Amino acid sequence: MSATTTERGRRAGGGSVRAAPPSSAPARGGAGKPSRSRADTRAGYAFLSPWLLGFVLLTAGPMLMSLYLAFTDYDLFQAPQFVGIDNFTTLFADPRFLKSAQVTALYVFVGVPVKLAAALAVAMLLNAKHRGQGAYRSMFYAPSLIGASVSVAIVWRAMFIDDGIADQAQQFFGLPGGGWVGDPDMTMPMMILLAVWQFGAPMVIFLAGLKQIPAELLEAAAVDGAGPVRRFLSVTVPMLSPVLFFNLLLETIGAFQIFSSAFIISGGTGGPADSTLFYTFYLYIKGFTEFRMGYASAMAWVLVLVVGIITAILFRTSRAWVHYTGDVR
Amino acid sequence: MVRTRTTTRKAAVHATAIAAASALALSACGGGGTAASADAAPVATDRDIELSLVWWGDDDRASRYQEAVTLFEEKYPNIDVQTQFQAWDDYWTARSTEAAGQTLPDVFQMDLAYIHQYASNNRLLDLSTQVGVNLETGEYDETLLGSGSVDGGQYGIPTSTNTLGMIHHDDLLEELGVEAPEAGLTWDEYDAWIREVSAAGADHDPQVYGGTDYTGTLWLFIQWLLQQGKDAFAEDGSPAFEKADLVAWVERSQPMRDDGVFYPVERAKQVEPLTGLQVNEATTELTWDNMMAGYAASAGTDNVGLLPVPTGAEGSQQFWKPSMLLSSSATTEEPDAAAKLIDFLVNDPEVGKIFGTSKGVPAVPAQKDAMEVAEGSVDDTIVSYEEEVAERVTAETPIPVEGYGVVEAEFKRLGEELSYGNITAEEFADQWFQSAGSNLGGE
Repeated sequence: MSATTTERGRRAGGGSVRAAPPSSAPARGGAGKPSRSRADTRAGYAFLSPWLLGFVLLTAGPMLMSLYLAFTDYDLFQAPQFVGIDNFTTLFADPRFLKSAQVTALYVFVGVPVKLAAALAVAMLLNAKHRGQGAYRSMFYAPSLIGASVSVAIVWRAMFIDDGIADQAQQFFGLPGGGWVGDPDMTMPMMILLAVWQFGAPMVIFLAGLKQIPAELLEAAAVDGAGPVRRFLSVTVPMLSPVLFFNLLLETIGAFQIFSSAFIISGGTGGPADSTLFYTFYLYIKGFTEFRMGYASAMAWVLVLVVGIITAILFRTSRAWVHYTGDVR
Repeated sequence: MVRTRTTTRKAAVHATAIAAASALALSACGGGGTAASADAAPVATDRDIELSLVWWGDDDRASRYQEAVTLFEEKYPNIDVQTQFQAWDDYWTARSTEAAGQTLPDVFQMDLAYIHQYASNNRLLDLSTQVGVNLETGEYDETLLGSGSVDGGQYGIPTSTNTLGMIHHDDLLEELGVEAPEAGLTWDEYDAWIREVSAAGADHDPQVYGGTDYTGTLWLFIQWLLQQGKDAFAEDGSPAFEKADLVAWVERSQPMRDDGVFYPVERAKQVEPLTGLQVNEATTELTWDNMMAGYAASAGTDNVGLLPVPTGAEGSQQFWKPSMLLSSSATTEEPDAAAKLIDFLVNDPEVGKIFGTSKGVPAVPAQKDAMEVAEGSVDDTIVSYEEEVAERVTAETPIPVEGYGVVEAEFKRLGEELSYGNITAEEFADQWFQSAGSNLGGE
């Protein structure tokens, strides 16, 4: 990054200060008055500094600290005690840790595909040409505007308790009644539904992707006798694959980090019976209610590793199914 | 052509990779250091002082505190008190992060479950130097005051006392046509009574139950242990009972769960943070007596009563517990003013009047006597209950052990798993002892 900037800056400097040959610029910079290019670079860093400082102090620094803490026993009160890999070995013998990993995996591997499918389906509907399509687009995106908020989780909880909307609908259709909130088998479907309902962000990206697909391709396929399913599978999906890949990555990583909605719906317990004990939630319990920061840090790094590995696998497999425009195979 | 292809591909891959990396960013916390304390001097009146006061509780408590603080500020015009409050769980999360950063409030509510941990890590001010200077403790019962001392230092001042009791909802019982429970029930008799009520309430809409599963409440288990002449914790903070005791406690109520006569856990989870009694679906609950005021308010009736907890073979063996204490940060810049505020909150008769029994029965007689207790009111019931129970109080308050808060939460969680039928009594005991092993003191 910085090399390119300097290169470009130097060229620009050389262009405007005609007398100075480009090669002499770096040599002069040290002693004499600063050259235009160095000033530019400095200004660049100055403008960048809020983000650089933020990154170093608020992200990189704490991450390094937590990497160290992961190998210690730290209760927030006393200085950390180095314990080697004890935290990691305890982790894999902890039944609640395994439970939280299982809960999270289920949420990610079921929730993400369902959410993406829903987002794509809605994007396809909103891509068709209709009167008032703009209004529909705004309406379908609306849930995502308020999506991350605490209030939605509270409303969601209210919908799924005894005599809530979900319960009434079940009774109307003659299905067995009862709220979902208190039933450990039904809380996961409820959490996944909440995620699916917040399809707005990937939907908008899908919609943008769909608009990029040249109409001629679809028309040509139709002329060749391809039906809607065939056109979707052979034209739309391959053309959309970079966008699909992008959404898949972001949603997968985001799903691993689910916290606030689970926290609110379960009343801060991860219950009932640990059925909403998501990974980050258990991490929070260990760190902030049991004061075991070392253990929590170890959990954080296991999560980073797992998400990193899954991301790497997705990138690997993407070669087989993601087609970029201009890609000749 | 080839060049274009790779560039496009790379650019797209890079963009995606950067987005992925930024989505991955995580954060963590750090901190550490030491604390110091100063000599006590009468609180200054010639300069402006700012104090922070933090408590856990609901809106009702907040307005009472606000009233008390206004009085304090009138009396000490140079002191400005900034207040803040949270619900119990969030309260401790906030305090633990502050403890790590050495920024605990000047005065804050403390609980027996945490005082040991905070005090032994030098996070609290030793108030014993303030006694007789800014803080009067002469009116205190020795044992009660002792509950705020850790390793010889006075780290917390109890504001009030409470004791376990059985709240019964007489409106519901009358509706069902069942007699209220009698005083002096044994645990088995209580269980039988619950069965009777749950049978009578089966056709009621909504269905009414006799009581809530009490097995997952650590304090009740401790009460049950004491009734058998056993202690809960040893001097070193480790459990003083055997795994077999815990198994016996869980198994004794198992038939009740098997027959579905307790208030169902599925329903209990949904009405949280309220309880079955508060939503008029359960007729009794075993809990702290000072909870009664809040319970009666949510249930929308004053027709509630208090009885002692069920007794065991060795008699009732009730114990007092300070319902809460007030502590000050070891790093406070105003130890004198902080001590003065604590003094005011625990001793001033007007404050006693403001809080009533909402924090428990006031520890200091001057405050207790100042309460305007109306005949037959909830306050009256609680005060007369504690007076009556005073004769039964034979057990010492169990020692507050370090890590109690964590193992108490684990006890509750296991109780929930038990209610869902996910674990056996043996598994309950094994998992709890595992948690106790890594969170409590000893060996």
